[in-house]
Amino acid sequence: MTELSFLPAWPPALSQPVLFGALLAVALLAGEAAKRYASLPRITGFALAGIVLGPQVTGLLGHEVLAAARVLVDLSIGLIVFELGYRCDLKWLRRNPWLPVTALGESAFAFFAIYGTLLFLEFRPLLAAAAAAIGTATSPAVVMLLVHELRAEGQVTERMLLFTTVNCVFAYIVLTLLLPFLHLEHAVSWPAALLHPVYLLVGSVLAGLVACAATLVLARWLGKREDRQFILQVAVIVLTVGVARALDLSVMVTLVVFGMLARNIDRTHLLMPLRLGYGGQLFFLILFVLTGASLEFGAFAASGLAVAGFIVARFVGKAAALVLLGRASGLRTGLAGLLAVALLPMSGLAVVMVQDTIGLYPAFGRELASIVMAAVAVLALLGPIATQFALRAAGEAEPGERGG
Amino acid sequence: MAEQSIAEELRFRNSEPASVGLELELQLVRRLDGDLARDAGELLARLEARKLPGAVKPEITESMIELNSSVHERYATLRQELELMRDAVVKEAQMLNLRVSGGGSHPFHNWVERRVVQTERFRTLWERYGYLAKQFTVFGQHVHIGCRNADEAVFLVHMMTRYVPHFIALSAASPFSQGEDTAFMSSRLNAVNAFPLAGHMPFVQDWDEFITYYRKMRGFGIVHSMKDFYWDIRPKPEYGTIEIRVFDTPLTVGRAALLAAYAQALVAYHIAERPHEPLRAVYLVNNFNRFEAARYGYQGDLVEPYEARTKKIGEDILDTITRVTPHAAGFEAADALGELAENVRRGYTDAAWLRERYKASGSLADVAREAAQRWAAQA
Repeated sequence: MTELSFLPAWPPALSQPVLFGALLAVALLAGEAAKRYASLPRITGFALAGIVLGPQVTGLLGHEVLAAARVLVDLSIGLIVFELGYRCDLKWLRRNPWLPVTALGESAFAFFAIYGTLLFLEFRPLLAAAAAAIGTATSPAVVMLLVHELRAEGQVTERMLLFTTVNCVFAYIVLTLLLPFLHLEHAVSWPAALLHPVYLLVGSVLAGLVACAATLVLARWLGKREDRQFILQVAVIVLTVGVARALDLSVMVTLVVFGMLARNIDRTHLLMPLRLGYGGQLFFLILFVLTGASLEFGAFAASGLAVAGFIVARFVGKAAALVLLGRASGLRTGLAGLLAVALLPMSGLAVVMVQDTIGLYPAFGRELASIVMAAVAVLALLGPIATQFALRAAGEAEPGERGG
Repeated sequence: MAEQSIAEELRFRNSEPASVGLELELQLVRRLDGDLARDAGELLARLEARKLPGAVKPEITESMIELNSSVHERYATLRQELELMRDAVVKEAQMLNLRVSGGGSHPFHNWVERRVVQTERFRTLWERYGYLAKQFTVFGQHVHIGCRNADEAVFLVHMMTRYVPHFIALSAASPFSQGEDTAFMSSRLNAVNAFPLAGHMPFVQDWDEFITYYRKMRGFGIVHSMKDFYWDIRPKPEYGTIEIRVFDTPLTVGRAALLAAYAQALVAYHIAERPHEPLRAVYLVNNFNRFEAARYGYQGDLVEPYEARTKKIGEDILDTITRVTPHAAGFEAADALGELAENVRRGYTDAAWLRERYKASGSLADVAREAAQRWAAQA
């Protein structure tokens, strides 16, 4: 035996790189298969692969693995929402004031439509409000990935990205403002209950501001060289994601603020836009597989009606706001309808918001999950198809590109 | 049937002598990164709703639009109208988060990414010319000058060909292409040269001879309409003009108006004094002069075909301006020509400005942004 001691123990202990690599390969193949054999967007294939690997089906990705992989999810969301924030041009909002009005209207209508529907279905107000808040957000990852894959460009695309930024931040702020009520329900003292949302919001904004200031100082020193700036930006983004996590702040809000400031306070145009290219795809893939693995379908049986109501109310709320207000912001009515369809996807960010709530108050969080997660499951699979359809129908996707 | 349509197509509408109209091809630029945008359709839809004195039209790719002025006798009214149209276009573009820019080429866009506008004419061009059609995402200014009759148009095409290097050197605004410094002052002309029907009008003596030539080309099946000729200067019977097409779109509407005034003055001079008769040698030296102008601008050599001697293009422009300025009085453009001459003396071209901006910032995205800001500035 001793002369064979160079052989590893059996079965070998597989480390994170094995997991990472295997996930990438499986996701790639699943995405390609979905596109080739079913004409579905590749994202749907990634998510399906995650569902199959996840606890719901084969259990190859157990709950522990998913918890360990949360850092990859945060990193992916961080990179994506940074770009989302960076694409948000405040000058445009100032010149076209109907645009922020429409964006806020889109968020508010969706929130109240879901909230009202859930109240009507006799859910507790606090639960209904938390679910409605999460439901307001569009998946930043789905819209971003589809914009890259379809090389989409145009008014629907630009507004889809802008409105996604706004509704994600809106969702987070509303959810955070609900915290004091949650705390009080759980008999936490008043000052502590009030301080928590203040800490989260102010802390996240400050973290984003510091990250932006540091990036600008370093970028000035590096000069306008795309390769150096690329590494700088990725480095600060990853670092900021880590810091936000360590301080229990919101990765999403921190990175949106970082991106938005990087675009808008950089008056001398020191920064060059971050182009992730193929490297970005790696994170997208991982994000969608892990989201797929985190999806839960169990709630359908229990609350099928609530889930259906949630999804319909969400769409109706968004569409109503866009059709009513879109024209004033310079969007033709047909395109406003397509924009509402494009904003359907939900995914990783919603999962993260539910998980964070579970982390704080497990019982409440699980109640929330039973409504939200089933809707996320549906919209994570159907959402990308809707967005792809909308961008194509608006004529903003690359005609030759059959991907998605 | 075909005969009748040719006669109709070539029926020359006489117009006021030396009246002027402009077409300007403009770039649509994204605010995000300075690359070309693809929102021509939306922008045109918005502009349609506004009452503008001229017209705004689609061009071959979704990254371009074309402004057409109405017909003007005087420099001042042309300039005013261009400023009005510029302000309207810039304002509507802002609502869509777009910039609009002059310049003969976009400094770094990748032609592969351009999308051809889906109308029948543009699709046909794309099918016939392949990548040339997309590489033709360059931006020119076309100046129409009115002619009293068709024979005068033929005469003026021959006369103006002598000045093609002037037009190129004065308007040059495309030093960068596909992310590189081309070393040319106007790289745009190289994109035009690739087309089989680029070049110049044949050396015909009058309109009858031109009609014979055109019939022959139609008979060969080489052309189907006058639009198929991509000549530097071509007669445009339905407008009653000659159309000078070698200008890069300048960085400002002010310069566009100056260039139009110069062309107008040249025409007025040639009609009033008739200093030369058409000369075949003009076409012998044309390609050489044209290259010198596109490559070196004012510093290029110009072979003077009538006197068979060589001089610098800049020097020849200054001499010419002096000669034609008296004829600019009719449309109140003497001061404008003075301004143009001053530019030449200082060695100013839009191409030089773009290179200078690149030197200062080191980023072509900055160059694209600053060029668009300059276009939008009310000066």
